[in-house]
Amino acid sequence: MSQYGTGYRASDTDGGGSGYGSDTVYSSQDSRDDYASTSGYSTVTTYGASRGGAPVVSFENVSKHYGRLRAVDGLTLDLRPGETTALLGPNGAGKSTSLDMLLALRKPTSGKIQMFGSDPYHAVKSGRVGAMLQSGGLMPEVTVRELVTLVTGLHPKPEPVETTLKRAGIAQFADQRVDRLSGGQTQRVRFALAICGKSELIVLDEPTTAMDVETRRLFWTSMKEEVAQGRTLLFATHYLEEADQAADRILVINRGRLLADGTPAEIKARAGARRISFRLDRVDEPFLLGLPGLVNLEVRHDIVQIQSSDSDATLYAVLDAGYRPRDIEVTSLGLEQAFLAITAEDDAANGNPHAGEAI
Amino acid sequence: MSGTLLLAKAEVSRLRRNKRYLIFTVALPVMFYLIFGKQNANGYGVSFKAFYMVGMASFGAFSGAFNNNTIRISQERKDGWIRQLRLTPLPANGYVVAKILASMATTVPSIVVVFLLGRFYGGVQMPIWKWIVCALAIWIGTLIFAALAVALGYKLDPDSVQPVAIVIFFFFSIFGGLWFPLSGALQKFGEFTPTYQIVKISTDVIGQGSIALINVIGVVVWFVIFVALATLAVRSTAETV
Repeated sequence: MSQYGTGYRASDTDGGGSGYGSDTVYSSQDSRDDYASTSGYSTVTTYGASRGGAPVVSFENVSKHYGRLRAVDGLTLDLRPGETTALLGPNGAGKSTSLDMLLALRKPTSGKIQMFGSDPYHAVKSGRVGAMLQSGGLMPEVTVRELVTLVTGLHPKPEPVETTLKRAGIAQFADQRVDRLSGGQTQRVRFALAICGKSELIVLDEPTTAMDVETRRLFWTSMKEEVAQGRTLLFATHYLEEADQAADRILVINRGRLLADGTPAEIKARAGARRISFRLDRVDEPFLLGLPGLVNLEVRHDIVQIQSSDSDATLYAVLDAGYRPRDIEVTSLGLEQAFLAITAEDDAANGNPHAGEAI
Repeated sequence: MSGTLLLAKAEVSRLRRNKRYLIFTVALPVMFYLIFGKQNANGYGVSFKAFYMVGMASFGAFSGAFNNNTIRISQERKDGWIRQLRLTPLPANGYVVAKILASMATTVPSIVVVFLLGRFYGGVQMPIWKWIVCALAIWIGTLIFAALAVALGYKLDPDSVQPVAIVIFFFFSIFGGLWFPLSGALQKFGEFTPTYQIVKISTDVIGQGSIALINVIGVVVWFVIFVALATLAVRSTAETV
């Protein structure tokens, strides 16, 4: 069953713009019961479903087509109260379109979105959602305080303005004009507008873009305070470490479809959480491909690299077969590699022109 | 509605800081009136002082309702401010309604200041009801340009909206006879402009104490056209704003 040689190049998965790395990795498109098949993780277990409470948000087979382009393609998911969920995907994966539809800025071509049991438009207009989009702008010619006061006034049960200014870390420049702020300051003002309404759901699209490292750290500290108050948080990001550290749950989407859904640990495990490498003189490739837990295999001369979901089992099987490899190393894979593996496998399985290069 | 009022209030307070707005809506009409207002001539059967008072008040109010809104709406759409507002509980039409409400407030100074100038500098005298009717005619009449501003601001990007707004502004100012009374062939052509109707309603009130129905119909027709254009523009951009 194992087909060796249907590899792909990870660096080609998102048009080269992300800088996720350019290692050449070959994938065995091995079908296993406990791991997703080449059909691209078609059976996604819904992590949220096991938790209690009515969903805050639910997407039911939601699609958005622009002509022939399927920006979002049959997306189904639930967000539960109190969860912090990261929406992860390469550029053009459909993250922004999904958030736009959730926030009633765009209408799905088909499918149904519900928020707090009603349609997105009414949920937004009832003030139960606070949002910060990359495409959202600010009113010019007013001070930060005036702007926050205005948007606070639009919400039915808002936070006091001074509290918002403090939480968002913008109190010290509250009397400056909005059109004279730096990129990072502007971003914090937008964040203030997302939290000033004391909304139950907060939606953030790439919230820490244009922030420096320190500001980013402060941002997540204040974000965690919001979550601690029982709010539900959904954020899109391309900073994988942010998703790893801040999120309870990660949704990986690629080309408009949900590929994986689980805790950061589960996502890493799903993609093969560890990399085993060793040297072996007489490499028996069919044997290696049959190893338990194997997700990816890479062989160069006598160097073998295996990506495995169960590194212990994989390694024991090698030893049990009588092999005595040298220079054994077992390392953890980050979310980044996991993410790459998941999206790249999807691209390979769906005939991405860059995928399918033979060894 | 309270959210819309809040936004309108913020719009007005931010305009107060805007020098460009003050120059075009108040300073320029006042300056023109001081320079040209005291000519001994007639226009549409009233003294030039009275005509020019009406013309300059309309010019300032027109500028306040049109120029200012066109460029701002276009810029705010591009910057994503309209989009940001759509993420708040502000009603869907709140942004446009607030712009129009703010225009209602910001065109008042042009009319009041130029009318005071006409009365005390130009020496225009007439019964109080004529002052009130003229002021209302100009105020309500020029507000229809806020609708045109919405149409252009939603449809065009900031770069292209500016020249278009300037051309329309000068066209309706000159061919509507805001700067000098129209006569002959020019009047035949200019009669169709909304600005002409507004001035004509006011000068008829001053001179004859009556209003011609045709001019009222003219303003209403233009109002309907502008509102239709605005509605189409707002609807067509519903998914991209």
